[in-house]
Amino acid sequence: MPSLATVAGDALANLERVPPTEHAARLSSLRRAAAARVHAQGLPSIALEDWKYTALSGLQQSTMRAATGADSLSVSRADLSALELSTTSALRAVLVNGCFRPDLSSLDGLPSGVRVHSLAELRASDPERLASLLEANVEAGSTFQALNTALLDDGALIEIDADVYLREPVHLIMLSVGRELLRGPRLLVRAERNSELRLIEEYVSLDSASGLTNSVCEVTLGTGASLFHHRLANESQDSAHIGRVAVSVAERGNYVSDSLAFGGRLTRVDIDVALLGRGARCRLNGLFVADGEQHIDHHTRVEHRVGDTHSSELYRGILAGRSRGVFNGKVVVARDAQQITAQQTSNNLLLSRQAEIDTKPELEIYADDVSCTHGATVGELDSSALFYLRSRGVSTDTARALLTYAFAQKVVDQIPLPGVRRWIETRFLGHTDYSQLLSALDNS
Amino acid sequence: MLEIKNLNVEVAGTEILRGVNLTVRPGETHAIMGPNGSGKSTLSHVLAGREGYTVTSGSVTFNGKSLLELAPEERAGEGVFLAFQYPIEIPGVNNVYMLKAALNGIRSYRGEKELSAVEFLKLVKARVKAIGLDDSLLNRPVNAGFSGGEKKRNEIFQMSVLEPRLAILDETDSGLDIDALKIVAEGVNSLRDGARSFVVITHYQRLLDYIVPDFVHVLAKGRIIKSGSKDLALELEARGYDWLLEEAVA
Repeated sequence: MPSLATVAGDALANLERVPPTEHAARLSSLRRAAAARVHAQGLPSIALEDWKYTALSGLQQSTMRAATGADSLSVSRADLSALELSTTSALRAVLVNGCFRPDLSSLDGLPSGVRVHSLAELRASDPERLASLLEANVEAGSTFQALNTALLDDGALIEIDADVYLREPVHLIMLSVGRELLRGPRLLVRAERNSELRLIEEYVSLDSASGLTNSVCEVTLGTGASLFHHRLANESQDSAHIGRVAVSVAERGNYVSDSLAFGGRLTRVDIDVALLGRGARCRLNGLFVADGEQHIDHHTRVEHRVGDTHSSELYRGILAGRSRGVFNGKVVVARDAQQITAQQTSNNLLLSRQAEIDTKPELEIYADDVSCTHGATVGELDSSALFYLRSRGVSTDTARALLTYAFAQKVVDQIPLPGVRRWIETRFLGHTDYSQLLSALDNS
Repeated sequence: MLEIKNLNVEVAGTEILRGVNLTVRPGETHAIMGPNGSGKSTLSHVLAGREGYTVTSGSVTFNGKSLLELAPEERAGEGVFLAFQYPIEIPGVNNVYMLKAALNGIRSYRGEKELSAVEFLKLVKARVKAIGLDDSLLNRPVNAGFSGGEKKRNEIFQMSVLEPRLAILDETDSGLDIDALKIVAEGVNSLRDGARSFVVITHYQRLLDYIVPDFVHVLAKGRIIKSGSKDLALELEARGYDWLLEEAVA
């Protein structure tokens, strides 16, 4: 099997072997350019500032091939019902190894004005439109985005029309199956003026899936549009996950993101938000939990392109074993973009002496009337809180577990997904007595 | 019940307690008064098992067991409860859950069966009512965003659920206005059942108007320099501590 570094080269060769039909010429040239870029650049090295703490040498050497639609066919409804998911939304779209599976999805409940399309279908029926959707972001992103474009096979386009408000979240179940596969799911989200959408993008594995999930999600929010985006990276311990979310927010638009990373041997998530119009805002929260030899890297970048734009960020990391975490949060305020507010907080909990975190806020400000704050903390569990709990009769282990749980709660509290709470509870407390007790209290 | 013999304690190389002796029998309430820096809080922390204190000599026995050899949670299991001077805020952990973990921790230490959620909720609801607090307290994170008075009342509420054999109140009156003080004192008095003992540590006599002690001790410079009845507190209120300190030196 070829190494990852040569996968893109093969993709390029494949593209050249099949001459494009005339109406797909634009899409084809886009993909060729992307493949050429991957081939020329190779994977990013730690010499690059953005990849300083995340070495990809292991990934570079691993052997894998690009997943195809055929790899996803073995998955059945029974497989899906065995998964422990964050929520049970009535609206679900299932993508297996990035391939849209309408037969496993349930989207009949979508109201008019909200559509979920397969990109494979769009590629066949209207390649011009797909090309123009992809072109919007073609320059940005690392080699991985180009790799995703070069290998683009399938994915989903989610559209919501102007003034449509959908309360029920659309649950995108991004399922990985099979060993040693390179998966490239692509998501395109377009929200028109004054619409409001909730999206759960949840990456999970079936059995012992391995390889690399290289996902790209591009979001365009129109004037006054809001997106609540919950992104959960929870794949098997054998797999690597590289994810990119690129968001553009027009005037008065609002992007709210909760990015959680629990699984995988190597996880890297980049969230880039461009605030393009006055009154645009974003709130980026994140939680990453790592143990053993896991490596989790979060990069965020918020660009305040005009004045009166606002961002806030809270990222929390919990690192045990010999795991390593990275948080890099960049805020860029454009020239003369006045009356900006930007807050950023990174709190990290180290549960073992071998665990490590690199946290770095970065501010680039080219305006003077701005209010930008940032703060980073790295610490252990609070000894006075530990003593307080123990003095009440709580065992040391339970007290430590409770305080770790409490640390995660600050982020999880704001996520309306029952499965996420259960997961955090099970992970840190070993059971779900906590939520059971609270619901018993509510009902008594 | 509690027997402190010649207790000497250092903090970071500085001697704080220098030979404290105290005997508390079941059902008794002892007040420990003294000027700032006399070692009152050190005594309460050492009894509860806080880290950072070095016992250089002396012993503390509680119902025949050497208390100093037990971990804080084991002391709670034996029936010791410390009401903190500054209760700790723990955002993200609800009161009711902490209490369940605490009560079941104590019960399993004693070899008793843990309470189910239903049994436990029945108990805490009765206690929260008895202390005169609002039900909503149960659902709130431990002490987070509580006023000073609420924190102290929460300590007393926790005590009422955990039913200790010995409760140590560390300056429970500090920072309370008179109304809050009365409520806290009523809570404490409702738990005085003739078997449970109390050690009430305070700087001011005021609290002792409401929680009337059987004995009053004056702790100064790490030693109990005078013991007496509740009238000693009134004398201290009238005359201050200086005359006693001079007497002790002489």
